[in-house]
Amino acid sequence: MSATTSVNVRTARRLRAERWYQRPRWRRLAAMVALAVTMTLVTGAQGSHQDLFFALEENLTGVALWVWLALAVAVWAGREFLTPQVASAVSGSRALASGPLGRVREVWRADRRVRFGVLAVAAALAVLVPSGLDRYWQTVLVDQIAIFVLVAVGLNVVIGWAGMLDLGFIAFFAIGAYSAAYWTGALPVQPPMVLNNFAVIPIAVVTCLVAGVLLGAPTLRLRGDYLAIVTLGFHEIVYLSAKNLADYTGGTRGVKVDRFAVDLGFWSYEWGVVDAMPYYYLLLAFVAVVVFLFWRLEHSKVGRAWTAIREDEVAAASTGVDTVRYKLMAFAIGASTSGVAGVAYASKVGYINSENFVILLSVLVLAYVIFGGMGSIPGVLFGAAFLVWLPEALRSLVDPKDRYMYLGGLLVVMMIYRPQGVIPSRRRSRELKLARSGEVEGDGTTEPAGGRLS
Amino acid sequence: MTVDVRKEEGGPRAAADPGDLVLDASGITLRFGGVTSLDGVELGMRRGEILAVIGPNGAGKTSLFNSLTGAYVPQEGRITYRPRAGGEHELRGRKPYRVNRLGVARTFQNIRLFSALTALENVKIAAETRLKAGPVSVMLGLPSARRAERRSDERAHEVLDFVGLAGKLNELAGSLSYGDQRRLEIARALATDPQVLLLDEPAAGTNPTEKLELEELIRRINRELGVSVLLIEHDMRLVMSVADRVMVLNFGRRIAEGTPSAVQQDPAVVQAYLGAPAADAASDDAAPDEGTAPDGTTARGGTEPTDARVPSAREGEDAGTRAARNEQPGEEPK
Repeated sequence: MSATTSVNVRTARRLRAERWYQRPRWRRLAAMVALAVTMTLVTGAQGSHQDLFFALEENLTGVALWVWLALAVAVWAGREFLTPQVASAVSGSRALASGPLGRVREVWRADRRVRFGVLAVAAALAVLVPSGLDRYWQTVLVDQIAIFVLVAVGLNVVIGWAGMLDLGFIAFFAIGAYSAAYWTGALPVQPPMVLNNFAVIPIAVVTCLVAGVLLGAPTLRLRGDYLAIVTLGFHEIVYLSAKNLADYTGGTRGVKVDRFAVDLGFWSYEWGVVDAMPYYYLLLAFVAVVVFLFWRLEHSKVGRAWTAIREDEVAAASTGVDTVRYKLMAFAIGASTSGVAGVAYASKVGYINSENFVILLSVLVLAYVIFGGMGSIPGVLFGAAFLVWLPEALRSLVDPKDRYMYLGGLLVVMMIYRPQGVIPSRRRSRELKLARSGEVEGDGTTEPAGGRLS
Repeated sequence: MTVDVRKEEGGPRAAADPGDLVLDASGITLRFGGVTSLDGVELGMRRGEILAVIGPNGAGKTSLFNSLTGAYVPQEGRITYRPRAGGEHELRGRKPYRVNRLGVARTFQNIRLFSALTALENVKIAAETRLKAGPVSVMLGLPSARRAERRSDERAHEVLDFVGLAGKLNELAGSLSYGDQRRLEIARALATDPQVLLLDEPAAGTNPTEKLELEELIRRINRELGVSVLLIEHDMRLVMSVADRVMVLNFGRRIAEGTPSAVQQDPAVVQAYLGAPAADAASDDAAPDEGTAPDGTTARGGTEPTDARVPSAREGEDAGTRAARNEQPGEEPK
């Protein structure tokens, strides 16, 4: 009698107890190991239909598996066992923080001249360093990095500030690019008058504003995942229209677009085909202007209203914030930025077809924003620049076909260990922390990716 | 600056004119599917008074608030709002932000602050909804945008000072104590310059000292700012001491209205709170402690099928909460 009772008690206790492998730390190890095996398989030898198990055998018996596993375990161990120590070292160095580190921060905060000085140095570096790169990297820098930084900064408004998940952002990029093609007379359909590429920019901005509002107005009553699906659909509509209305858009054959040129009568300049640097300076100026304007926006009434809507829409509305208007505004501002990037892209590359605007790009841009840190301009700049650079850098190191696998692996690790992004915004990381500790409900974009860090 | 200090001598309490209704709702009926949450509720709120709404859990108090502020759209009824400046506005079917702009502000039962923002930013967001500055002027840093920024800053400081949070401007809303969070919510509502303030259980979860301070704050809001206050509260001591009049809801109906003492004696109220003799401890705990008990417990015969009705009323409340979560504010729950 008493024996069975004690057995039952023990069983109950055992059932209640968390198994060691259920603890977040070990679950993360399992995830990392699974990731390592997956990476081994997808980056290893290819299969063949004659020998179905060839790839499996080849990859799992090779040395690559062990390299990947060692890497995964190293990352896991470093993050799990070293971070607490680093963190305690950092917090133990509060003394340090109030000492020399604090001094630096004080100077940074107190003195405008210091901040401007640092900004000026950064700007000088941004202007000077690329001219030392070789031609290939200069092209990458302009055609991809600069363009997608611009797009990501625009998407950041929608997703990072207003908290709306947009999976079809490249649709606006496409609209911008096709606007450029149309108004410069490149499309099979002719415009009422042929304009200079620069003159197309405001037109593209307005077109994308309108497109953003047209997409937004009927869909903004949707939230989170539902909105994401609708934007996904919107992207497909734009993409398939570009592809199938070949008589109007050139379809997959594409059209040739004129490059940027200025002709003021007494002075004219043409952005050439070979040298990428003039485009780089132009785009750098675009990015600088947009970042400056958005930085102001973030720290203004508008930025605060977006934060309010993101955190608690009901409370925001009850406080007098016109939620629909602000959400539309976010859509429109983000879309128009993307439109500018589209014009720049079409005018730089000189040729667009529908396949330049596939859904993958929308997803990648979203990844740039999340990787860098939603809502944080420095984060998004870094995230976009780094993630566009990475596949290019991997091109010579690994099988080019596998490049995006590495990107995916990196994103998975990132979401496990640093879901707030590389350089998170202060507001956003606070929200994430509050959502994790269960104090507030996370929205679609602050929901923790699962498992809390011990 | 624009805090309306209307310190009429004798206080607005004496001046509350029974004929001058600032909020006049009649026949509000709100249904969620088959559940009737509000059943022809009448509400007459005099200008400058503190009116308390009490009732057992699930009586429809919060649904009433949500109907008044546009979060729900009742299927029937009229809600007329008469601002000081004159004119009449129908609030039923208006979007929450429009209701707020007309001068009806509210707080929430389960505190809904912008937790990751500071106290100052929380209040600024509210103050800024009254200022004109579009995104373009902000981006270009036009003088008008700067002026608006400065004004909202001043206004927020002023309001936070008024509620006694001046020392906690830069603390995160989520890290404030419960009582301070309640006060911050009130500050946020006040920053929109309301003429009517709806407080939904402002004393819930606060300690006795904070309750006293809150009581004082409600009085000051009423007297110094001349704001009419509609108050949902379970703490009867607070209600009896602060309210000019009390309205009692039960099962979505108004069962009594009058001065606190009159309402306390009302047999219908006693029954609502204590139930029939078979009454259980499940009815509200705070209610019966002040003088109602002696005749209340034995007054009524057990004719009402209390037990059968309570759950349905609760379901109504739940449905309401759910609806609030899933729907856009201002969307019609039809």
